[in-house]
Amino acid sequence: MDKSSIRNFCIIAHIDHGKSTLADRLIELTGAMRREEIREQVMDSMELERERGITIKAKAIRLDYKANDGKTYRLNLIDTPGHVDFSYEVSRTLAACEGAVLVVDASQGIQAQTLANVYLAMEHNLEIIPVLNKIDLPTAEIDRVIDEIESVLGYGPENVMHISAKTGLGVPQLLEKIVQRIPPPGGNVDSPLRALIFDSHYDSYKGVIAYLRITDGQISKGSKLRLMGQGTELEVLEVGYFAPEPCPVQTLSAGDVGYIATGLKNVAECRVGDTITSISNGAREPLLGYRPTKPMVFAGVYPTEPDDYLELREAIEKLSLNDASFTYQPESSPLLGHGFRCGFLGLLHLDIVRERLEREFFLSLVVTAPGVSFIVTKTNGQTVTMVNPGDLPLPHEIEKVEEPWVSISVITPSKFIGPLMDLIMGCGGVHKRTEYLGHSKTPGELGQRVQLEYDMPLRSMLTTFYDQLKSRSQGYASMDYEFIGYREAKLVKLDVLVNGVLVDAFSRIIPPEKAHDIGEAIVSKLKEEIPRQLFQVPLQAAVGSRIVARANIPAKRKDVLAKCYGGDVTRKRKLLEKQKEGKKKMKSIGKVEVPKEAFMSVLKLNW
Amino acid sequence: MIGYCRAKRLNLMSQDIALYIHFPFCRRRCSYCSFVSYQGRESDIPDYVNALEKELALRTDGQKVHSIYFGGGTPSLLSPQHIHDMLHTIHSLFAVDEASEVTLEANPSTVDEIYLTAVRKAGVNRLSLGVQSLVDGELALLGRIHTASEARDAVQFARIAGFTNLSLDLIYGLPGQTIASWREALEEVIELGPEHISLYPLTLEDDAPLRTAIQRREIPPIDPDLTADQYELAQDTLAAHGYLHYEISNWARDGYKCKHNMVYWHNLPYLGIGVAAHSYIHGHRLANTTDLDSYLNAFSHNLPPAWELDEDIEPELELSETVILGLRLSEGLCLENIRSRFGIDLLKHYGQQVDEAAGFGLLEYTDKRIRLTRQGRLLGNEVFWRFLPNKTVGADP
Repeated sequence: MDKSSIRNFCIIAHIDHGKSTLADRLIELTGAMRREEIREQVMDSMELERERGITIKAKAIRLDYKANDGKTYRLNLIDTPGHVDFSYEVSRTLAACEGAVLVVDASQGIQAQTLANVYLAMEHNLEIIPVLNKIDLPTAEIDRVIDEIESVLGYGPENVMHISAKTGLGVPQLLEKIVQRIPPPGGNVDSPLRALIFDSHYDSYKGVIAYLRITDGQISKGSKLRLMGQGTELEVLEVGYFAPEPCPVQTLSAGDVGYIATGLKNVAECRVGDTITSISNGAREPLLGYRPTKPMVFAGVYPTEPDDYLELREAIEKLSLNDASFTYQPESSPLLGHGFRCGFLGLLHLDIVRERLEREFFLSLVVTAPGVSFIVTKTNGQTVTMVNPGDLPLPHEIEKVEEPWVSISVITPSKFIGPLMDLIMGCGGVHKRTEYLGHSKTPGELGQRVQLEYDMPLRSMLTTFYDQLKSRSQGYASMDYEFIGYREAKLVKLDVLVNGVLVDAFSRIIPPEKAHDIGEAIVSKLKEEIPRQLFQVPLQAAVGSRIVARANIPAKRKDVLAKCYGGDVTRKRKLLEKQKEGKKKMKSIGKVEVPKEAFMSVLKLNW
Repeated sequence: MIGYCRAKRLNLMSQDIALYIHFPFCRRRCSYCSFVSYQGRESDIPDYVNALEKELALRTDGQKVHSIYFGGGTPSLLSPQHIHDMLHTIHSLFAVDEASEVTLEANPSTVDEIYLTAVRKAGVNRLSLGVQSLVDGELALLGRIHTASEARDAVQFARIAGFTNLSLDLIYGLPGQTIASWREALEEVIELGPEHISLYPLTLEDDAPLRTAIQRREIPPIDPDLTADQYELAQDTLAAHGYLHYEISNWARDGYKCKHNMVYWHNLPYLGIGVAAHSYIHGHRLANTTDLDSYLNAFSHNLPPAWELDEDIEPELELSETVILGLRLSEGLCLENIRSRFGIDLLKHYGQQVDEAAGFGLLEYTDKRIRLTRQGRLLGNEVFWRFLPNKTVGADP
């Protein structure tokens, strides 16, 4: 097909604003699938995609659309990941498009991710078609949201389409608009091959499948190609597009979007953002700067039963085949045994990986409190990066500690500004900007919507921050963040000792002024959860050699079956058997028998 | 493996047994009760007595019987005639020792001078009164149907009726009880002059109504440390008044230990008759159904009802149970007895466990005996579980 009839676009939206539903509708209207087939297969939320399994995932769908002018256009709809944890991936996806359909929920208005994605789209010079969705809902506030769109994004009401993705209202007009407004791709089919990888996944039969948008040149089956950033070389086993099922073709050309089966063993060899070119007659400049993703959040992942270590290792290896941004290193802890220190792009990424390990691989896991990576400059001039609190050098060896900071953008109705500002400042946030969105004359009881911008340490976002954000704003606030670099921090390591023995898994890196409160919370929790022993058990929280909190578990005085007559023997024996079994399941810390629930509850402690 | 003589084991089995009869009827259930007992079914008592006699006939092997124990429920709801008839039946079916101990458990509210005299005449020679408390407020909390004054009267009636072997039960660790009120209770009981005293800490199973009340914070929870203090006080007080502390929860004047219960703690055979009754015969632990109606309907085709529990006690488990039960006695275990019964040296066979428990100060031993220390009595479970066999033996049906 002629390049001029191709339209490469994506749908960008805040979570639940209707991206998937709109995608379904577009697919349906262009006849790519019937309504009944849609639910099973198509672009869906990230969670479900991973649930369904690899082969059905369709990141880019080719839709053939016969427009009102009689011509048939090829619309390549490319899916974008929804969440802030994956903003790097979003960025690469946008680089594969010429336009973006921006979906805004008419009852919710512009949210933090709407903005983040729009800014990204603008940076990539995409043609943006703003669309107001869910106009059929009784809670839709069409005028207010149109006003917001104009004042924040600069698009006048005449440019905003009104649709209901659910009912299909306005969608045919949107298709026309896509054809009219979004430019065809540039590039030259005769130039040396340059194709951008905007996603990849691992298939056990075909190896890594790379999703590409070809800017220059063409790719055929059997082509010998090279990744310009990573250097990986490969031969194309298969090339095709998604309709949404994979459809192999002989050749894909400049302007087109599709996939290649590479035969590579690991997605890490074929990473998002890299440019593919031919080995012979290769291009000289890549399409974009290529930057591998960096994990920002780290946690120890251990099997609950030490016997399951091998299974955990296998599961992690399998999972990482398909997730290039998830890192792992073997690690061991006296308390928890053998496990891994894993790196994630963010808390959501951590949750997704944890859930997949538990559900797809049937593992029971202990995950330590998530932390960030610190850069420690030692007094001898050495710099070390550490992700495990246990690796923090001794206080007298430390010259300075730096931690990652993020710039966070929170959108909230003005009613909640106070509590949210308290939250962010309490987390060490530094205020950058407050901006009101829209000029609504009737702001409603929640007030005008406001965007708050702060810089804050990533560390403070890792525990209850998101939940607090939601609860302090009754669910109305949304947030987005981005890494902005490392800054010096005043931090210490809090250690926990049970019966005089240091429990490595409980150590945390915290600001010194919080040491007492956090220490107090931990020892109280332990006192609650650890059963009384045959001897007294001292519990201590310490920073270095200084005790910041303590508690004491008194020795057990009484534990005996008072009555044991003829009818009791079997039953009482079974109780003793249970008692014995229970002891086997406990971990021994400094001779203290600690049930699993006890240290799980300390690992989960949030503040 | 235990050098165990099968013939010796069977020999043990055909020796004297203790005979237990369960009587699962009560006027009203107490708030802490977890026993098998039925309220409001007293009209079924005559049928029940018939069923008991049938079961006795069907289960007897003509063994020698040296103690009979009527437990419940409230066995003192049986009429003296019923008791007389049952004892008569038992005498005809078993070789009952003339000097047998015959115990009846009784609720103070259900007995008077006449009843107790008749029951004494029928052959009961030991009375166990469920006093539980001599404070009316505590009795109400426990849901008992009697008052403190009725309990004191019952003691008098027992003496008048001619009982010279009287046992009283008391409960401690009650929410609201203090160390002082417990001291008073002990002194009062000692004053009443029983030959035998049993003391139990309040223990609530999941289905006890009192447990729900505590969970709902209607009454304060049980204080385990206070309970421990009360036990220690009891040990000291009763010792000072000449009561021998012979088992974890039982005290007696010289010569008045409960012979029937000693059979349990020596892990010797016994036959249990009636609803929910347990037996230990021919190397099996057995139990009857806990359901009254099933029991009443069960004697078709002149067969006894099937056992609800039938656990084969292999030698390793028998040893384990012998140790666990025997340690409950203050005299502990005689190592020579273990050697002749099981063919092993206990200190070698359980060397590690003995050392561990002794290391915690819970167990002491010489080359002749092994027993719990004072601290070990309070923390008995921490000793007992160590003597369980390493894998669970004995199958449930």
